[in-house]
Amino acid sequence: MTSVADRLQAAGTANALELRGVSKLFGALAAISDVTLTVKPGERRAVLGSNGAGKTTLFNCITGDFLPTTGTIRLFGEDVTDFPAYERIRRGLRRTYQISLLFNALSVVDNIYLACRGVSRGRFSLLRPRTNDALMNSAVDLATAVHLLDFKDTLVSSLSYGQQRQLEIALALAGAPRFVLLDEPAAGLSPSERSELIEILNNLPSHIGYIIIEHDMDVALRVSESVTMMHNGLIFKEGSPLEIESDPEVQELYLGSGHE
Amino acid sequence: MTDTPEKQVSEDNSGPLAQRGGVAHTRRENNLGFYGWVSEIPASYGLFAFALLLLPAVVSSFVLSQIFSWALILGMIALSLMFLGGYGGMVSLSQMSVAGMAGYMLAILGNSAITDISIGWPWWLAVPVAIVIATIFCTLTGLLAVRTEGIYTIMITLAIAAAFFYFTRQNYVLFNGFSGFNGLAPPQLFGINWKSSVPFYYLTLFWAAAAYLAVLYVSRAPFGLALQGVRDNSRRMAALGFNVTAHRVAAFTFAGVIAAIGGILLVWLNGQISPGTIAINPAIDILIIAIVGGLRRPIGPFVGALIYVILRTFSLDILTSMGLAGERFQLLIGLVFLIIVYWSPDGVLGLWDRWRERARQRDPWKRSSNELSDRDELS
Amino acid sequence: MGRFIGRHPLWSLVILIIVSVFIWAIFAPWPKEFTAIFGKKKVFLSALFNGITLGGLYFLVASGFTLIFGLMKNVNLAHGSLYLLGGYIGYEVANATGWWLLSFVVAFLVVGFVGILLQYFVFRRMEGEDLRQTLVTIGISIVLADLMLWIWGGDYYQILAPDWLSGPVQLPLITAIKSDGTAVYLKYPVVRLAIFVASVVVGILMWLALNKTRIGMFIRAGVDDRDMLSATGVNVQRIFILVFAFGAGLAGMAGVVGGTFQSMAPGEDIRFLLASLVVVIVGGMGSIPGAALGALLIGLAEQFGSVYFPTYAVVLTFLIMVVVIAFRPQGLISGSN
Repeated sequence: MTSVADRLQAAGTANALELRGVSKLFGALAAISDVTLTVKPGERRAVLGSNGAGKTTLFNCITGDFLPTTGTIRLFGEDVTDFPAYERIRRGLRRTYQISLLFNALSVVDNIYLACRGVSRGRFSLLRPRTNDALMNSAVDLATAVHLLDFKDTLVSSLSYGQQRQLEIALALAGAPRFVLLDEPAAGLSPSERSELIEILNNLPSHIGYIIIEHDMDVALRVSESVTMMHNGLIFKEGSPLEIESDPEVQELYLGSGHE
Repeated sequence: MTDTPEKQVSEDNSGPLAQRGGVAHTRRENNLGFYGWVSEIPASYGLFAFALLLLPAVVSSFVLSQIFSWALILGMIALSLMFLGGYGGMVSLSQMSVAGMAGYMLAILGNSAITDISIGWPWWLAVPVAIVIATIFCTLTGLLAVRTEGIYTIMITLAIAAAFFYFTRQNYVLFNGFSGFNGLAPPQLFGINWKSSVPFYYLTLFWAAAAYLAVLYVSRAPFGLALQGVRDNSRRMAALGFNVTAHRVAAFTFAGVIAAIGGILLVWLNGQISPGTIAINPAIDILIIAIVGGLRRPIGPFVGALIYVILRTFSLDILTSMGLAGERFQLLIGLVFLIIVYWSPDGVLGLWDRWRERARQRDPWKRSSNELSDRDELS
Repeated sequence: MGRFIGRHPLWSLVILIIVSVFIWAIFAPWPKEFTAIFGKKKVFLSALFNGITLGGLYFLVASGFTLIFGLMKNVNLAHGSLYLLGGYIGYEVANATGWWLLSFVVAFLVVGFVGILLQYFVFRRMEGEDLRQTLVTIGISIVLADLMLWIWGGDYYQILAPDWLSGPVQLPLITAIKSDGTAVYLKYPVVRLAIFVASVVVGILMWLALNKTRIGMFIRAGVDDRDMLSATGVNVQRIFILVFAFGAGLAGMAGVVGGTFQSMAPGEDIRFLLASLVVVIVGGMGSIPGAALGALLIGLAEQFGSVYFPTYAVVLTFLIMVVVIAFRPQGLISGSN
């Protein structure tokens, strides 16, 4: 565990995320092989690829849901390869899930409150928040930011699908995120919800970087400034959105995926 | 009659016994400040509280001690199980062992009839130290029991309860083996004999109410909310920055304090403690009490305890009236338990909630505009 | 095993040394210094064999328990009661007909049938609700225990082994050398050896059934991933009934064994339930080899404990369990991922 001073020093000069030679094997199956990736602070990257390309496994390795078989992962200059998930989250990493992982028995504001609590002190506090509790206010603010203020006391089980996806994003913005992993945030959204999502992402403060996994090329290329393409667990191409869009190999692999 | 502000999540899941938790949860604003939260308790409970306070005036001292005090104590121990099981999703069969540990420690550190073992510390030293030791014991149990998949917790805590039972039975140096300790009594304080039924009843009522209110309050404090989050979605909690294992173990610590206090009161009620107090059957009885009452709300364990105690005390009469031999109490309680788990896994509380919901739906005047919009959202 | 040695060379060396010492202790006559420290070799050998044969009994009970948990995620806390029921039924049959072997068959069938009824009428309706199923098994164990207490009372029932199995046999293991130089060999009850051999046979048959038959393949698949099992289109409920009935029947047969080795009385159900729990926690849930290893370890621990540390023998077994949970929570050999 590095000290705060080391971390501050590293953060000033380091990349937001640095993966070197990361592989994950499940038995004999290599879900991702030898992935080397560098993302600068504030950079907006899209990771694209067909199903089974290894994108979600990549996210799981970065978050710490499981440990990689080989390779190192550095978060803002700090080696987090062996850290459990919660340690990485407390260092500014955030994540949304392809299938919303929310607390169905709690209300919207309680969900966001938990997210805020998770990255601040007082997780074990036995005292209830007072009337003007700062964290509760942040939770309400976040609910407003994702257009869920009117529903803040509704139980998650009563929300529509689109609203649940919005809540997913709110959870990822809790506390002081420095880097967010967005796993197919646009999946299943209506066109208007999709433009809302693009608006939220493009309006994020510039110091917050993210990697977005998406099948919808349209959304992905509108919210990212660089693209990584994966195929069969390997990184197969990297470049700017325009380069990737016009690349013949990419077109060949993704013909008919909805991209014009 | 005012509605309980606690609302069920949905009617079709089978409560905490379903894989996703269904502990009832208030929809009130939780920024009501320190005292506002008391409004979460339904007004009808105030009536019960009043009745409980006046109880000694109307019942005999036998009923007071052997039914109500005992039910309150068992309710407290079962409350610790409910806290872990209902809010934490971890069913622990070792809560009686924790209570027993507190009782044994009190016997060893304080005064008892076994003078060559009991150290003889004054109660104001022995009681807190006994509670601390029992809480540490519960925390260690938690450390062992929570690092594996949910259903293992039952097995591991059962094994721990058995191990502790066998140990106390075999060890004569500290635990006095088979006979255990007797001659245990609450101290004389302020000129009141706390052992006599009326003062002791108020003592247990105080601590049971304190435990109940503490659990209710904490359930919506960050600690309690985080625990429920861990119950519902531990992967998500880890991805939000929570140390899931630490929260689970901390829950055991909290529950340990409650069970420990229950244990102290239990040995004062019975005047004795022996391995039989913490054997497998009593351990499972605590689970039965919590389940029969209902894991959804903290009042459940107390309801279950009252039912258990009444059945236990009057089983002789009930059974002979059914034409069976009087000793078949275990059969009776086993059948009651089976019936509850089969038809109403939320326990008696679940039955009560469902009956009330049906009654409310039949009466159009009872529906407030608040609830109509709830139903719209639920559809 | 090669992989194990490759990955843990230090532990493998330690285990090799311990096993070698054990083998020497078993086969060679003990020098006087050794006897001074460890007591008589005869006592040691008796404890060893008692432990191994008790392990066989524990394996019979625990393997059914671990299968039921592994496949159906049902912690069957009524398993001890099924064991006791089998023992009582076996006693009645042996008493009535005088045929010891018949009592095995009847116990297996009757208790297995009870298992079918339980799975079909009760557990099937609680598909997916693991905790609720476990609670139901607790209720069933309470009811069964009291019913059995009612019918058979609190006495100890002993099933007598048949004549052709009673008496000791001489084993080629030296317990001591007499002063004139002749060797004294260990004598051990035939019935215990026979039952141990039978448990090994049952274990091998189970292993073969699980690994070489089609149904066994489905069961192993289900242990690994229950949802995938229903995706294969096989009739999942029928397999569940089969496994529960078999596990229950096995417990019933183990009851006859226990009634012969020791005796049947109220309280044995809890004892064997706890033994099963500890065995599968140590050995690993859902794994038959794990149950075998765990049963052997626990049987040996219990017997050596009762000889060398009589006061805390039982605590010793729980201590082993605690150590395993602390350092390897999934058990020594885990059955599924």
